[in-house]
Amino acid sequence: MIAGMFAQLGVPTDAPFAVPEVAWSALTPLLILIVGALALLVVTALVPRTLPVGFFTVTTVAVAAGAAVASLGSWDRVTDPDRGPYMAVAGAITLDGFSVLVTALLAITVVLVALLADGYLRREGLGAAEFSVLVLLSASGGVMMALANDLIVMFLGLEVLSIALYVLAGFQGDRRESQESAMKYFLLGAFASAFLLYGIALVYGATGSTNLGEIAGFLARDVPSEQGLLLGGMAMLIVGFGFKIGVVPFQSWVPDVYQGAPTPVTAFMASGVKVAGFAALLRVIVSALSVQAQDWRPVMWVLAMLTLVVGPAMAIVQTDVKRMLAYSSISHAGFILIGVQAASDRGTAGALFYLFAYSFMALGAFGVVSLVARQGDVGVDLDRFRGLSKRRPGLALVFAVFLLGQTGVPLTSGFMAKFSVIGAAVASESYALAMVAMLTSVVGAFAYLRVIVAMYLGDDEEMAEEGTRRVQIPAAAGLALGLALAVTVTLGVLPSTVLDAARDAVPARLSPSR
Amino acid sequence: MDNYLPLVVMLVLAVVFVFGSLVTTKFVAPSRPTVAKQDPYECGIVPSREAPQRFPVRFFLVAMIFIIFDIEIIFLYPWAVYHRELGAYGLIEMLMFSVAVLVSFLYLLSKGALDWGTVKKVSPLQPLRTSESSIRRVGLEGRPSRPSEVGAP
Amino acid sequence: MDVFVFAVAAAVILIGAMGVVFSRNPVHAALMLVMTLFGIAVLFVQQQAHFLAAVQVVVYAGAIVVLFLFVIMLLGVDVAENVTVEPLVGQRTAAWVITAGSVGLLTALAIRAAQVSLGMPSGTRPLDGEGGNLVQLARVLFSDYLFAFEATSVLLVIAVVGAVVLANRSPGSTADAGEQEHSPTGAGR
Repeated sequence: MIAGMFAQLGVPTDAPFAVPEVAWSALTPLLILIVGALALLVVTALVPRTLPVGFFTVTTVAVAAGAAVASLGSWDRVTDPDRGPYMAVAGAITLDGFSVLVTALLAITVVLVALLADGYLRREGLGAAEFSVLVLLSASGGVMMALANDLIVMFLGLEVLSIALYVLAGFQGDRRESQESAMKYFLLGAFASAFLLYGIALVYGATGSTNLGEIAGFLARDVPSEQGLLLGGMAMLIVGFGFKIGVVPFQSWVPDVYQGAPTPVTAFMASGVKVAGFAALLRVIVSALSVQAQDWRPVMWVLAMLTLVVGPAMAIVQTDVKRMLAYSSISHAGFILIGVQAASDRGTAGALFYLFAYSFMALGAFGVVSLVARQGDVGVDLDRFRGLSKRRPGLALVFAVFLLGQTGVPLTSGFMAKFSVIGAAVASESYALAMVAMLTSVVGAFAYLRVIVAMYLGDDEEMAEEGTRRVQIPAAAGLALGLALAVTVTLGVLPSTVLDAARDAVPARLSPSR
Repeated sequence: MDNYLPLVVMLVLAVVFVFGSLVTTKFVAPSRPTVAKQDPYECGIVPSREAPQRFPVRFFLVAMIFIIFDIEIIFLYPWAVYHRELGAYGLIEMLMFSVAVLVSFLYLLSKGALDWGTVKKVSPLQPLRTSESSIRRVGLEGRPSRPSEVGAP
Repeated sequence: MDVFVFAVAAAVILIGAMGVVFSRNPVHAALMLVMTLFGIAVLFVQQQAHFLAAVQVVVYAGAIVVLFLFVIMLLGVDVAENVTVEPLVGQRTAAWVITAGSVGLLTALAIRAAQVSLGMPSGTRPLDGEGGNLVQLARVLFSDYLFAFEATSVLLVIAVVGAVVLANRSPGSTADAGEQEHSPTGAGR
């Protein structure tokens, strides 16, 4: 009877709705992050008194670690040649080695950021509940980007990641620099999002789908009738992603935002956000649009070249260590772009390995900076690091390892990372880029060595007059630095596990069969 | 577009009523303004300065509540039209969406977004407070234009 | 009938848009914006885009304009800007040039459209097939874009938490100046 009524109303009763298969196993890491954040929010709302910072640190670490373990748990499943990668939720997301590895990396990043933030939040007296929730949700956005098999999902993931970070950048609202950082990040980020969205629209217009697998399939079969639409869309996508990962000439926001944001947040920007941004770039441009490689490779080449030259050149003139590290993160983005530019599986693997290695070095370096800073997140001048080796020999040594790693000294992960992307560039016959990369890493070394020299050879007298306040190292931050150090050294000596994993983690191109 | 006819009628009625009332008042009601009549009404207290022009930023949280339920309504709309075909599956998906939204609503409530009793809650009765000081507070100290406030971005 | 509805809606849109630009009072400008957006909703209805019409009224005329009004009230309606100085040199001249260019382009387009393709049928599938576009929208929203739909809820949670973080400043910072007057002892946060 109801069907008859609907027929009268003109609502179709034929063509029953096909319920899409939701592969819950594929969503587990993402759900752990989101449900964890929501649970924290409920607890904060229902418990009348303010919970201690430690509670939130422990919960965040547990949730993020759970997500990392859950993600790595499906590694065997997706790299098994018999079963292989698969799609979930009506082809909106892909679970392959790439998404598994990036998800795990993002989750581990959150673990370290939560540990670093523990002491920081206590020192600055900031709300730990909101911080934890926002970091977890931001990471869930990054995971969405890593999983995305659809440009709309990719965009939503990017917005989830970014909007949480705009707030985190302004988290220390009493400090003018933090407000400035949030404002700049928000305005330029919104600008970049607009570019990205417009690019998505143009690519959709040219290929007739927002699904990455279908776009790749379409381009492999047909030539779009409007080539200009596709090229314009690709250019917009590259601009949008370029802003997010901070490559020259879209890097102008990086120094101010990195410097102004609370240091643990900066650490997350340099590690997690870069990972997610490059994951998106690798999935959309390198994987889905691989047919158009001859069009985007020259663009990537120019971007990589500019970034490699400008990043280190600006880094060496900085006197503020946090700002110097911001410029150095730009130059590292250039190195990762070398892997992107190679447009090969080897380049993708190199970029992934580089992201893996750099994340830990950046977390470690910004972690040290957050410890050395005085209350209010100030005093990260080079002068403040002078003679650190005498006051805090352990901390100075750890910082030196992170800086040397970023230089690319052998026996650290940085060397293997640089080696793998430059190797990929040579294999793809981008000799000039490989040459410039090697030269600029020498130039960039000066910036890092200046800090190391200051720490070990600098006079401590000025600091002694100011009052011999020892740099405090909270246990949680110490644990985070130890973990980052262990990864940096281990990857330098025994890189094969992660290198092999990165090689197996090439994005799959799956199309929802219909 | 026939479905929209009631809306159009409603709209026309609204416009007619508003303008009709205005015009009728203009012609029928006597106009004898006095100073006291033209002052803004502030609970019977004679205002001694301009009404405050700036809202406290807390009102923004109310706007936030409005926005999140607004967006939820927009997603509920297609679901409501198609929910019979979607069945239990659609209900579950919609509930998942709603739970996330309701959690944020709960959080907002716990932060006192709908809590208008801040003065009652936090300030104990001051022994020095007399009816005179209270009236002065309400009347004069509505929003003093301190230099820090005026110059604030 | 169609032409009549279009003419009325277009007039409403144009009057509203003029009102937004020429109102001295920002609150009036925001209310004029509601009028414009409502006219656009009528045009959507005319094009059988019922969902878009609903979104236009509920989200734009409702939520967005309300947010505008909130921000205007937060900043204070009495804050008048000195419009005689030009922050960007040549701004006014550029505005005139761009306006003239846009009007010229639109006129050219209108003339060309009148000659060539007035009333040409759309090349895509008719939106009203298969039970109205709302049903079609519901179908894709709960299948192809289910993940995106659920992800939106995360975005809303972040928006709420972010608003609380940014709105609740410790006493003494500028953003809180208005609120402090409400609770002399500092609201205990």
